[in-house]
Amino acid sequence: MTFNVTQILETPIGVGDITAGNLMYFVVILVVGVAVARVVSTNVRRALTERLPKNERELLAKLVYYGIIIWAFVVALPQLEFDLSGLLVAGGIAGLVIGFASQSVVSNLVSGLFLMFEHPIKIGDNINVGDVSGSVEDIRVLSTVVKTYDGIYVRIPNETVFTSNITNYVHNAARRFEYQIGIRYQDDANEAIRIAKEVIAVHPFALKSPAPSVFVDNLGDNSVNLTVYIWAPARNWWDVRTDLLWKIKQALEENGIEIPFPQRTVWFADGLEVKGRFAGKNWKEE
Amino acid sequence: MFGRYKGTFHREDGDILVEAERNGGLLTYRRRCEGQTFERILVSKTGEIVINPVEPVNLPKDITDFLQIEFSPMVIEPGATQTVYLKFPVEIGVFLEAARDIEVLDIFGLGSQKYTLYGTPTNGVIARWYHSEIYTEVPPPESLREGVMELSIHNTSHGWVEISCVVFDSTDMKIYYGDIVATAATMKIISPNLAETDFIDAPLRPGMVKSVELCVARKIPVIDRGYLMEWGFS
Repeated sequence: MTFNVTQILETPIGVGDITAGNLMYFVVILVVGVAVARVVSTNVRRALTERLPKNERELLAKLVYYGIIIWAFVVALPQLEFDLSGLLVAGGIAGLVIGFASQSVVSNLVSGLFLMFEHPIKIGDNINVGDVSGSVEDIRVLSTVVKTYDGIYVRIPNETVFTSNITNYVHNAARRFEYQIGIRYQDDANEAIRIAKEVIAVHPFALKSPAPSVFVDNLGDNSVNLTVYIWAPARNWWDVRTDLLWKIKQALEENGIEIPFPQRTVWFADGLEVKGRFAGKNWKEE
Repeated sequence: MFGRYKGTFHREDGDILVEAERNGGLLTYRRRCEGQTFERILVSKTGEIVINPVEPVNLPKDITDFLQIEFSPMVIEPGATQTVYLKFPVEIGVFLEAARDIEVLDIFGLGSQKYTLYGTPTNGVIARWYHSEIYTEVPPPESLREGVMELSIHNTSHGWVEISCVVFDSTDMKIYYGDIVATAATMKIISPNLAETDFIDAPLRPGMVKSVELCVARKIPVIDRGYLMEWGFS
């Protein structure tokens, strides 16, 4: 039994004049297109590793990847005897139908494109969207991936991201944080302010400008309350915050200024009388 | 301390000790600076260790490329040009150099660092901050701690201008070393709130050696375009 390859390739598949050969070429062109797209996008990503920020590198790699696949698809379409000029007319109608049928997909896609060009967030930024807080892992065409501070993967549709209030904690170069520090009433508040300022001044990332501010904010029930405002680089503020508080506390204590426990002075109008036995003898105290 | 070393060596200067010693077939690089130590085992037959001053924006952590030097206020008349000398902080870079590659091994420095914000929190930049006196002649710096910057200031604006700080993009910085560490820079004042700063690739004195730049060792392509100070200079 012999096989004639040409005859097999020319066998109609039953859809118009399309033959098995046409179908095979269509598939081959698409497969080659996907393979080329993967190789090229991988190399683009590798070549730009140290030259572009991660989010821009990923965006460029994705554009290259999908661009090559679309190009391969357009090249392959004539194999299925698809008239590309007819595609324009059909495309308009199909676009309407698909648009209505996949509103949320298109909405997410458009939102994703706006997010990529508006840049309210970048990969690696610490953000809060709705009730999700974490760092941005990826900004995809349809969704944004956030890794929460607990290390949990959260996928948020781009439409949700785009229409929500986005808090980007590291978008600005610097940010401010504050401490409330209570000292005893008998301690010298001016001395406490001087010591706190000295500790802040020697920390490299407690910014010189805008200058830190330390002042007596209010007279509390148990302590004189100082407020400390410190500016730090936005990407390092948490390290500075955790580092400085303990150093200020230690410096205050080394100089005899203590952070008091809650306390209450009770006055008895008629004095206090305590009665009872202790160690086998009666004692009385007023 | 600065220079090229092949194989074992031992250098000690004040609070800094840098050495490489051979244990069997392996080379151990060791550094001690103000109580902090760093050690790496090196597998190298032909490589060299290069120690030179580098751009001072890496310690205690690399968070910016900008350097701001603050000095006493100076008022400059329109059209005037003046060259002054400032001191800038020095960090010491240790590089591993082979025939076809160079890599950063270690960066350390004496003294403390301080950072600041130049501009607004929204659009400004974080910069390494340093205070310097103004000198009319090359001052005698501590080479391992400070360098000398020859700053040429040109007021091209039509009014008197007061300046008390200058901000640079350190990726353009060209540092030379010899008996002192030095760099040369320019500041062109365009308007009362706008100035261009840039570095000049030239030694302060003949015979000085050019430092290996960090961006070269890190293979980061850099376009030397200077820095535009948009947020004033006082």
